Amino acid sequence: MIKRILRHETILALLTVIVLAILAYQSDKFFTVDNLLNQGRLMTEVGLVAVIMTFVIVTGGIDLSVGSIVGLTAILTGVFWKSLGLPLPLAAFAAIACGTFGGFMNGVIITRFKVPPLIATLATLALYRGLAEGISQARSVRGYPESFYVLGQGNMLGVPTQLWLLIITAIVAGVVLGYTRWGRTVYAIGSNEVAARFSGLPVDRAKLAVYTASGFAAAVAGVILVSRVSTTRSDMGTGLELDAITAVVLGGTSIFGGRGTVIGTLLGLILIQALKNGLSLAGIKGDGTIVLIGVVLILTILISNIVHRDGNR
Amino acid sequence: MANANHPTSASGRAPSERGVIARFAAAYGQEIVIFFAMIALFVIVTAINPRFISPENLNTIFSGNAYIAVAAIGMAMIIITGHIDVSVGALIGVLATISGTLAVSGYPVWVALIVPVFVGMAVNAVIGVMVAYARIPSIVVTLGMLSILRGGLITVTGGAWISGLPPEFLIAQAKPLGVPAPIYFMVALTLLAAFWMRYSEFGRSLYAIGGNPEAARASGIPIERRTVMVFVIHGAFAGLATMLFATQLQVIQSTVPPNLELTVITAAVIGGVSILGGTGTVIGSTLAAILFAAIGSALIFTNVSAYWLRAVIGVLILVTVMADMIRRNRQGRA
Amino acid sequence: MKKVLLASLVSLSLSASFVHAQSAYTGGDDLPTNPLACDGAAGEVASKPYDGGEPTNAPDRKGKTINVVDVPKLVGIGYFNATSKGIADAAKEMGTMEAKTDGPTKANIDDQITLIDNYITSGVDGILFAANDPVAIAPVLKKALAAGINVVGYDANAEPDARQWFVNQAEFNGIAKSVIDSLAAEIGKDGSFAIVTSTFTTPNQARWIAEMAAYQAKCYPDMKWLETVEAQEDNILSFNQANTLINKYGPELKGIVGMTSVATPAAADAVTQAGKCGSIAVVGLATPNAMKPYVSSDCVKSVVLWNPVDLGYAAAYVLRAAADGDLKAGATSVKAGKLGELKVINGSEILLGSPFVFTKDNINNFDF
Repeated sequence: MIKRILRHETILALLTVIVLAILAYQSDKFFTVDNLLNQGRLMTEVGLVAVIMTFVIVTGGIDLSVGSIVGLTAILTGVFWKSLGLPLPLAAFAAIACGTFGGFMNGVIITRFKVPPLIATLATLALYRGLAEGISQARSVRGYPESFYVLGQGNMLGVPTQLWLLIITAIVAGVVLGYTRWGRTVYAIGSNEVAARFSGLPVDRAKLAVYTASGFAAAVAGVILVSRVSTTRSDMGTGLELDAITAVVLGGTSIFGGRGTVIGTLLGLILIQALKNGLSLAGIKGDGTIVLIGVVLILTILISNIVHRDGNR
Repeated sequence: MANANHPTSASGRAPSERGVIARFAAAYGQEIVIFFAMIALFVIVTAINPRFISPENLNTIFSGNAYIAVAAIGMAMIIITGHIDVSVGALIGVLATISGTLAVSGYPVWVALIVPVFVGMAVNAVIGVMVAYARIPSIVVTLGMLSILRGGLITVTGGAWISGLPPEFLIAQAKPLGVPAPIYFMVALTLLAAFWMRYSEFGRSLYAIGGNPEAARASGIPIERRTVMVFVIHGAFAGLATMLFATQLQVIQSTVPPNLELTVITAAVIGGVSILGGTGTVIGSTLAAILFAAIGSALIFTNVSAYWLRAVIGVLILVTVMADMIRRNRQGRA
Repeated sequence: MKKVLLASLVSLSLSASFVHAQSAYTGGDDLPTNPLACDGAAGEVASKPYDGGEPTNAPDRKGKTINVVDVPKLVGIGYFNATSKGIADAAKEMGTMEAKTDGPTKANIDDQITLIDNYITSGVDGILFAANDPVAIAPVLKKALAAGINVVGYDANAEPDARQWFVNQAEFNGIAKSVIDSLAAEIGKDGSFAIVTSTFTTPNQARWIAEMAAYQAKCYPDMKWLETVEAQEDNILSFNQANTLINKYGPELKGIVGMTSVATPAAADAVTQAGKCGSIAVVGLATPNAMKPYVSSDCVKSVVLWNPVDLGYAAAYVLRAAADGDLKAGATSVKAGKLGELKVINGSEILLGSPFVFTKDNINNFDF
């Protein structure tokens, strides 16, 4: 089992190294500390969401509402601060709490009403984005204090502030998924939910926690995004769900659940970000890059499948 | 598992001891819910503004969104078989550009209209082979395809719009007997697909594959071939949807219509197609596509602030789905 | 029974939303407006000191070939296709500029920022941009300035200190006046009209709508603004929305205004297909090529736009002048190739000219 899990990640790691080498050869501006750290900054929001999305997909579920939660949290941060006059840190925490509650609601709809995750989060994708639009009345909130930008535009010990958050989240998530009882519960649900239920595992509680965590990650990503681009708009985070899911499945997580690792997701993230950045530096336009990412996604899973020959999934 | 809880007559498992009405209700539960939701919507909105049910507005609701309903038929088949396709919006964008390019470069109109159907089938045959034989999950293949088609479209066209389309190309504007052509397409294709899914061996086998692939294989259904075929058929529906989509206006945009894939998938699943595979009908997906169009129109007619439009749609989707789940759970217990 | 429940829920959620319905709602923004005089007297232009930014330690680029990237709001629509053609034309004419266009495939602030960031790293000499959001794009543009890159905007502005110059196609209040005047000429001073726009969050459109509302209230107080609907950058949705407006208001609706180059032709098509040419006027912002069928069939009388090819062309020349050091803070005009001298306004903006009104007589002279 462990061997099989590692196999996809090994292939992906190899591929990532090859891609990094080619890109570094193509442009001398690619493999510089400044550029790499900057890319880390740019991928943090998708990264946070993708790391937790790994849990969601490992349970056999999916969360399409994350992009909308990013938008809703961004809007609420602005509204709480500007219209309600809360101090900014408090406003950000309140907004994150609301975004987390949005994730919790996803969990409730999925576990209590037994609505399939894809449909439940498809509906809340529309609902949360709609709330963001309704609350903002299409106005954007600007003019945040300089100190707030430390989170999205500043550095800590020479590394972009938000990258630390991503690193810590990834380590914690990796340990939880890989080495705890709770992580094993998540895998068990994804492999066979009925069996997990019969063996007395807290299936509903675990699912509720996973979707709540997904909402929380998206909410934090929302606040970081506001800090990085210094404004709030109700359309922020549109399409982010597909970027996150792409990273997760590229990382070898089975969309049917039961299989996947945080390390794989991180490799997937790095590979996509490196391609976007490196191809651009090598003079390839954005639309060409999108095509290549699509090809890489399909080919990686194809190669991995051929090597595995485990067939049934 | 969830689909084993409730009887699905579409796969021919409705208990025969029940009355005709109960059987019908069990078979078309979600379709009935959507139908009554639509009736309720029409009654309420018409009470507020009687122009809502004017023939012109009905034409707008039905015909302007017929392409979504047609695309949702193929999507319903894909989901019933236990797969998904997130690339259909991008595919329609690409096919529309192909269609328009052929039309303005002097090819006969029927060529310009029919070629996209075959291209759609070819593209989806590739997807189907990768899903069925290379065993890549359909969401992965189509996520990749979404990127390839969206980026490729811009790379090839450079973003130029197509205008100067010959008038006879614009078939979606035709109104035989005063009814817009897209409505004929939508109704005919829905009925055709519904009968085919219900009564043909092929159609019924799709429910079997989606419901329980192992059992389907054991009963001798060639799963791989059928999977490729259903993707090919889905591609043909994307081509047919393009026929309506590309011929509605005198200009074709070379960008992918935003969020079209989400709209199509939503129509299919709200129409009662279980995302777990194995249940649902294409009548439901068409009804749901129309319901969405009607909601969009109703919100304008009832002066709902456009800022809240999407929130209202989200609530409506949730309410519909939860009502359906309550119904199914109760049926499962009965 | 479930159906009753559902029906009541549907009606409940609908009626709940009525609470939020607003009658006098236009879709404009909250910024102060400055409507022009009704009789066409020139607006007052307050002179302002230069408020743009400066690249830090920019190398001497005078006369040298410079490498420029153009990042529009999105690629794949006719309008930005025309601006990049203008930029390419100018680059060819000068012979000392390598220009390429690369933009997001969706009008998405984050994608645009990432693209620009990558081009900063790759070491371009100049960046031309049309911002999806004036504030969101500012940090990355400031980063470009700090890296010694010349930064010039066109079409959609950024915060002034995040770029050196902005080529303004036409002032917001000038466009508002042209649109409302054309509309009034067709539907009369007491007609009712509705607006189809992209989204309420698109800054340029929101600004135009706000200025149009102010100008209409000032100069045509009897005209009735029925409502504003969103239709993304999607022509089929624009078509459906325009149709719904026609059906909803019936004979009361006298005019539809399209706020984007996508919405206007779609609205014209809706009016044409509804057989309402002549009874419902369509005016708005659009590119001439997309409007030719409707103008030649007499369904649309006038289309308002600047020339986007010229806009891109001017932007390229302004960037060249800024890179050469010929265009500095305090300048009052700049030479832009075949366009001649362009005026500096508002401190750090360069005005392309007045908005242009295309009619049946002149529309065939344009190809973009």
